Amino acid sequence: MREEAGIVTRVTDGTAEGGDSASAPVPPGTIPPAPGGPAPARGARRRSPAHPFVWLPALVVLVVLGLAWSAVAEAHPYILPRLGEVGAALVGDPLLFLENAWATLSIALVGVGVGAGSAFVLALLMSEIPVVRRAVMPFAVVLNVTPVVAIAPALVVAFGFGMTPKVIVTAIITFFPVLINVTTGLRSVPLPVLHVFRTLDASRWEVLLRLRVPSSLPYTLAALRVVLPLSLVGAVVAEFVAAGSSGGLGTMIRNSASSARLDHVYAGVVCLAAMGVLLLALVTLVERRLLFWHDSRRPTRG
Amino acid sequence: MHYGHSSGDDRWARRGTRTITPSRTNTWRVHSATPHPGLGRPDDHRGTTVTAGIEVRGLTKHHPGARPDRPALQDVDLEIPHRQFVSLIGPSGCGKSTLLRILAGLDGADAGRVSLLGRSPKQASRRKAIGLVSQTPALLPWLTVRQNVALPARVNRRAGTAIDPPDDLLRAVGLEDSAHQYPHELSGGMLQRVAVARALGLRPDVLLMDEPFSALDEFTREALQYQLLGLWQERATTVVFVTHSVHEAVVLSDRIVVMSARPGRIHEVLDVDLPRPRDRKVVRGPHMHDLEDRVRASLQSAWKAGAAPDDLVPL
Repeated sequence: MREEAGIVTRVTDGTAEGGDSASAPVPPGTIPPAPGGPAPARGARRRSPAHPFVWLPALVVLVVLGLAWSAVAEAHPYILPRLGEVGAALVGDPLLFLENAWATLSIALVGVGVGAGSAFVLALLMSEIPVVRRAVMPFAVVLNVTPVVAIAPALVVAFGFGMTPKVIVTAIITFFPVLINVTTGLRSVPLPVLHVFRTLDASRWEVLLRLRVPSSLPYTLAALRVVLPLSLVGAVVAEFVAAGSSGGLGTMIRNSASSARLDHVYAGVVCLAAMGVLLLALVTLVERRLLFWHDSRRPTRG
Repeated sequence: MHYGHSSGDDRWARRGTRTITPSRTNTWRVHSATPHPGLGRPDDHRGTTVTAGIEVRGLTKHHPGARPDRPALQDVDLEIPHRQFVSLIGPSGCGKSTLLRILAGLDGADAGRVSLLGRSPKQASRRKAIGLVSQTPALLPWLTVRQNVALPARVNRRAGTAIDPPDDLLRAVGLEDSAHQYPHELSGGMLQRVAVARALGLRPDVLLMDEPFSALDEFTREALQYQLLGLWQERATTVVFVTHSVHEAVVLSDRIVVMSARPGRIHEVLDVDLPRPRDRKVVRGPHMHDLEDRVRASLQSAWKAGAAPDDLVPL
């Protein structure tokens, strides 16, 4: 409210002094309060990440879970490996895990690139050409509801044990969420803004590029947030199915499980979890950079 | 009483507006609401060389799905001289926003003709000759204030219309210090000023404003009204301003078009003979209240003239 009053005074001063608003001197100090005003209060309320209040609850849960795990592992060593063993496996041969993790990650990333990329392009086409929408949408839905795991063996038969079938599985898994979200995003343009573009006689291409695509960005990134962790699922499932393939955490977990090397199984799971967190962090980082303007990035006040 | 709701002959256009001051002549072609020589408007088209800024003839518009006997606009005739400031006011459902949308080329008419300085709305928008300010600022949130103001220059380049330097525009609305801020960092009043600056940058032939200040608080709104008057005085463009506020209409306009609803049509056209430039002294004067009362009375009769809305709860 206070900053609103400040603006008002400036404007009225400008017009009252001979009606020449252009010459109204604006003290440089008057503008910043608008964006800067609430910031200190917010900063005071929000604690720094180093504050025990922030990290202590999670740490307590972690310790409790660790203790419970250890208790079970002591009683039934053939069900759960000891935490120390898992750690030892990771430290003992880090290169093995890194190599396999990279194999899985590259499949996941290529799969996302293909799946999300083609979904994005298709969503653009669908938003501009209704016929494409009617032609493609039913099949996209069918593809979405079909369990990909069921297709995977057939893909392995068709494409062998190389990267191709795994990339295809990952691409299929990541395709639909991106398609739906981007389609929604491209249509989520505020009508008044569209009207301004239309009174300027902006071409469809300009509306798409300058208005629709940026408007769809929050939706696209929300889809990526879902789809990137999913891509790891796709890659691992494909590796499970394509038995005898050379590398990847999925293959490794499968082989270790069949030879009852539980420490390696869980070490592999830890690697996958870490990769998932890493991918999520990446999306969050990109969101911070690109969506600074979006409502979702602003703290809700009051 | 139904001026502008022409039945056969074109009563309104020929007999013209009802001037609020009784002594005034009633033919608008020679009439200027307020003589103001040399007030910074480069060439005063009003009075001597009348160029019809906006000409609307027999405009009829049905909203799809609405009752066929109650068009949103029925046979509307309106003539706005170039460089006049005209307000559209009326009860809800009277079609003032529909009329504005048709003027902006956003909506087509079922019958009738619209010309903006002799061009159809489509042609005018092709030349980027229409400025539009809506109720919400309608800025692009991912662009800075300065980039938003420069947007009309980057879109539809084939029109070859240059815009005023964005920094000048921002200075004109007193926002030069906010040039590199983003819309979410500004208050509602500031955002609407950015929207006005963006619309004015093209030096449009017509500036269409759809309740631009209605979402603002009283003080901000008043400040923006004066600022708009100052800008209009400098830039001399035809303004069509949709509003709900009688006070706002009287403060800003040369002419107030009172519309009535169901069917949407022009009820009465009133001239505002307040001197320009309008500062606080003019606006606070006693004449102001007479004018407001006149507009209110006209609105009252416009309200009675229209059929009752279907969705009105019977008392």
